[in-house]
Amino acid sequence: MDSTAILIIVFLTLVGLGCGIAIFLANRFLPDEDPLLKRTEEISQYLPGMNCGACGMPGCFAYAGEVAKDVECLDKYPCMTLQNDPEALKGLGQCLGLELSGGEKKVAVVHCAGDSEVLFDYAGIDSCKAASQISAGYKKCPYACLGFGDCAEVCPVNAISIDSEKKVAVVDPEVCIGCGLCAKECPQNIIEIIPAEMPQFLACSYLSRKDIPGREKCSIGCIHCKMCVRASEGGEVDWDDKTFMPLFDHAKLLPAPAAIDKCPKKVILKRDSPRWSQMPKKERVEVEKPAVKKE
Amino acid sequence: MNELLTIFFSMALINNFVLTKFLGLCPFFGVSKKLKSALSMGLAVIVVMMAASLVTWLLYYQLLEPNGVEYMKTVIFILVIASLVQILELTIRRTNVALYNALGIYLPLITTNCAVLGVTFLNVQEGYGFAETLVAALGAGVGFTLVLAIMSGIRERLELADTPKSFEGMPVAFLVAMLLGISFIAFGGMV
Repeated sequence: MDSTAILIIVFLTLVGLGCGIAIFLANRFLPDEDPLLKRTEEISQYLPGMNCGACGMPGCFAYAGEVAKDVECLDKYPCMTLQNDPEALKGLGQCLGLELSGGEKKVAVVHCAGDSEVLFDYAGIDSCKAASQISAGYKKCPYACLGFGDCAEVCPVNAISIDSEKKVAVVDPEVCIGCGLCAKECPQNIIEIIPAEMPQFLACSYLSRKDIPGREKCSIGCIHCKMCVRASEGGEVDWDDKTFMPLFDHAKLLPAPAAIDKCPKKVILKRDSPRWSQMPKKERVEVEKPAVKKE
Repeated sequence: MNELLTIFFSMALINNFVLTKFLGLCPFFGVSKKLKSALSMGLAVIVVMMAASLVTWLLYYQLLEPNGVEYMKTVIFILVIASLVQILELTIRRTNVALYNALGIYLPLITTNCAVLGVTFLNVQEGYGFAETLVAALGAGVGFTLVLAIMSGIRERLELADTPKSFEGMPVAFLVAMLLGISFIAFGGMV
């Protein structure tokens, strides 16, 4: 080996050593880091890390900072994703030295099956907020999902897809973390956060009693017929006299298979299976035809 | 003094790192979505460029050149810049948490930024002295920040503009970069 090669090896070793020693010295002699910062980083390990902002902070790291300052923040500004993840919650509990009880998992449901007739051709901006400004949307049902996907846009986990045929948002309950951003975003206020254990929900939010959507506006809207209440024996279904709609108790989480079966419009859906597979297309057409004739 | 000014402006405007030399293009598109993060990134780049130029100048003229192994500069410069950024990050983290949070992920990003390595090579190539090296590094950093700030300002407006669907996001940013590049060529007649 000639002398240049040795020189190179020596130089490289020296520079590498120098860099290493410099970092070591910097690490050794700099003042200790802010304990709050270290704690923030520890806490942020257990947070979901997708910076959805549903808790009200600008991101998960900022949320961790607030929690590091004051543990009460976990209750005051709950992170829904964290609440749904028992493993992360347990880890965070150990990190903070607290017993954290996991809240129940929640998911979003859209109270619309999206079959309302179209009132007029809407050719404006592609956004539910804009569309809802004109006569409560372009669909005949004023409580209908407009299907432009404002909710899908804010969803941090892409759990919401738009059924382009019916123009209705569909939530994938497996992916949904129940953060509630979509419910805040929806201008029609038809997205609700319900417990994931809830066996069924009403896929309609038609509040008015006058124009019954099942007859002339929407082939699969609630017609307020109370069949579900009559069919349920054990009080699984209550009746809300204000909205004139069936109510499912979110605390008891009772399954109501009889109500799902009896509903003439099939508008009570099982929460855990995809919506389109539950919508019997033939039946819907049959229901629709006599209704048109009557007029 | 006059010469230093010439170096500064030629590095910042005429031989702008992003638009004329095509260095540091990843942060140019990656971090130019918001003006605030663009300025943070620019600030971090200026500091790292100055520090890296200082150290590499010393190493090159005290260690490499006297021993006739100038070709070692690539590997040694990379090594030095990487550890320099590490030390800088450690220092900021320990002493100023607010600044650390502001710079966030941008400091480690700079470790492998070609613009930083580029400025150290250019300094050696041009045979700059000590003061000239520092001024050149400052100029390069300022030029980088300037372009990033202009770009992010435009892109913030573009977000609101009614762009055709197929041009939304990156494509229109590339077009803007092209126009910016053309306009920066005009600085070529300054000196």
